[in-house]
Amino acid sequence: MFLFSKFVAIRAMLAILTLILVSFIVFSLMEMVPGDCAERYIAFKASQGSVITAADVDAERVRLGLNRPYIVRWVEWIGNAFQGEFGDSCIQRLNISQLLGQKFWLSLGLCLASLVLAYAIAIPVGILAATSKNAVLNNSLRLVSYLGLALPNFLLALMIMLFSTVMFGDSLTGLFSKEMRDAAWSYERVMDFLGHAWLPIFILGWSATAFAIQTVRALMSDEVGKLYVTAAEARGVSGRRLLMRYPARHALSPIINSLGFDLNRIFNELPVVALILTLTEAGSLLIEALARSNDQQLAGAIIFMLTASIVTINFLTDIILALTDPRVRRSIVG
Amino acid sequence: MTDTANVDQKLKEAYFTASQGQLIWQRFKRNKSALAGAWILIILILSGIFAPFLTPYDATISGRDKDYLNGAPQIPSFCDSNGCSMRPFVYTQSRSRSIKTNFRWVTETDDSLEGRRYVEFFVKGAKYSHLSFNINLPGEALDFKIPGFTFETHLFGTDKGMIHIFGTDSTGKDIYSRTLAAINTSMAVGTIGVFIAFVMALAIGGVAGYYGGWIDSALQMITDTVRTIPSIPLFMALAAFIPDTWSAEARFMFISMVLGLIGWPTLARRIRTHLLTERNQEYVLAAQLCGASPAHVIKRHLLPSFTSYIIVDLVISFPYMVLSETALSFIGLGLKDPVNSLGVMLQNVTSADVLLNYQWYFIPVIFFIVLVLAFVFVGDGLRDAADPYSDSH
Repeated sequence: MFLFSKFVAIRAMLAILTLILVSFIVFSLMEMVPGDCAERYIAFKASQGSVITAADVDAERVRLGLNRPYIVRWVEWIGNAFQGEFGDSCIQRLNISQLLGQKFWLSLGLCLASLVLAYAIAIPVGILAATSKNAVLNNSLRLVSYLGLALPNFLLALMIMLFSTVMFGDSLTGLFSKEMRDAAWSYERVMDFLGHAWLPIFILGWSATAFAIQTVRALMSDEVGKLYVTAAEARGVSGRRLLMRYPARHALSPIINSLGFDLNRIFNELPVVALILTLTEAGSLLIEALARSNDQQLAGAIIFMLTASIVTINFLTDIILALTDPRVRRSIVG
Repeated sequence: MTDTANVDQKLKEAYFTASQGQLIWQRFKRNKSALAGAWILIILILSGIFAPFLTPYDATISGRDKDYLNGAPQIPSFCDSNGCSMRPFVYTQSRSRSIKTNFRWVTETDDSLEGRRYVEFFVKGAKYSHLSFNINLPGEALDFKIPGFTFETHLFGTDKGMIHIFGTDSTGKDIYSRTLAAINTSMAVGTIGVFIAFVMALAIGGVAGYYGGWIDSALQMITDTVRTIPSIPLFMALAAFIPDTWSAEARFMFISMVLGLIGWPTLARRIRTHLLTERNQEYVLAAQLCGASPAHVIKRHLLPSFTSYIIVDLVISFPYMVLSETALSFIGLGLKDPVNSLGVMLQNVTSADVLLNYQWYFIPVIFFIVLVLAFVFVGDGLRDAADPYSDSH
């Protein structure tokens, strides 16, 4: 037990260290964007008709605390970020947590759902592919996984949009129907959401599924040939029981280990897919912030939160691995 | 009897004395899908390089057909109700809207004998040049110009008017010409990106793997952190720095560099892991005991032990560069109009107008899926071929 809590403590510290490094990268990116908040505010005032001098800009900088050294502001930013507080967006002059609010959780939910979907498909299919000698099945699965690489999610989204527009005259976009967009959460709104969300979940999960099938297949076909499986077979275990009890358990740890990177892959696709399917969530907000309004505070907050959820997933998978596999516990602490 | 034994002996000798490159090529050749992928890849790359010759018109706004905006693909045919001809032809078509058509776009087709546009080969057309460089970076001192060779022959064209086998876009630019130009752009972006990623990975992974210890731990920490941040959002954040005033070429260079600057961590990790395991191998020890200098060990023993892996990794990471660029350009943060790339061409296709009426905007997608698939097949084939143990199972 002591060993285990030590392991958790070390992992938690590493995760926090990673987050601090990430925050430094993100904060530096925000700083590198030409122009700062003071100039933006003042530019807004100028557009409202007041006469502006350089002294006004400087005064505004002092008011916002932008004249303090870089490191001080970074420490302040990261301190607030860990409390889920990202300050105000200079462009929209609104609190970022308010602006992002449930949109971020919506995105995270979509991405996690597609991750679950990916493995719900990949584990049975991958095991089947690894154990079956059926050439047709194997080749078609290979083709699907190659297509998962070559047809990235956003092209798939475009193709589905093209197809559904031509065939059904409906482009299947959006997360909510018109009347539900701004309604409060209720049973109807949840149902409406689910009715719209299946397509983005499928599209976001597409590449991840193809990759996961490849991984599961490779891991399983490595394991099924091993001696312990033959030994178990000799003892009279067979069929699904054999697969589930022996090779599948071994193949599971690398899969759990790679969940964080699968989530990373899905986040990668999120903004562009969100743009195509006009999803009203954090991904499209990110594009909005970067491509249209140059809103570095908002963009930085979104990137930081996306990365933070990956780091959290990595931390959780490490803990799960340590719980299921005593070798992992020892290797890191030892 | 002795003959076959001799042949066997010869084959064995050839096998055991073959260089690593020959062995890899032997194994690669046996993989039919990889070989097919390699051929397709070569054809696509060549058609990208020779795009100006293979396509009838300039891919920029200067090659537009102003009478045929959003025009459907024109398929050459040999026969119609007016009889057959040896030479394939398309009809004279134009699209216009006016008060007569209630301001809707309509296509007028002149399918009489006079309206036929005969397809001809090796026609003279817009000038283009090969091997010419005209780099225009911000700042005067960095500009330089190499004229290269100028040609004006195109593979095919028509005796009068224009021909658009993949249709035209909303400004009348020929989609076929743009597609091949876009392949060229994608290859260029990918090459520069992969090269920068490779240099950075070699430096960082090499240092980490060679020194080990705390330097390795620190570099690993940084590498892992960069790997944790989702790369496309990071690309987007970096690309958002580009001022609107930059020229298309400067944008192109910057985007390729950004792709490289973010693409290095995976490769760096592989190089580092490989160096860490290889430097403790017995053959390295043997070389060291024979008195070889570190430089000799690295050059003659360590580098050859993983060049094939690096090449494989580079080929595998290539399509990711191309696809990232496409995604970036698609959302308007990557390349911009005078430069053609798949992302640029797909920028406006999500409008209902295009989806319902102008589906030929999507033709380039097919080329790109084929290009990426070919890369994936070749990469997979190379990976299997470079693995010396792949024969055994």
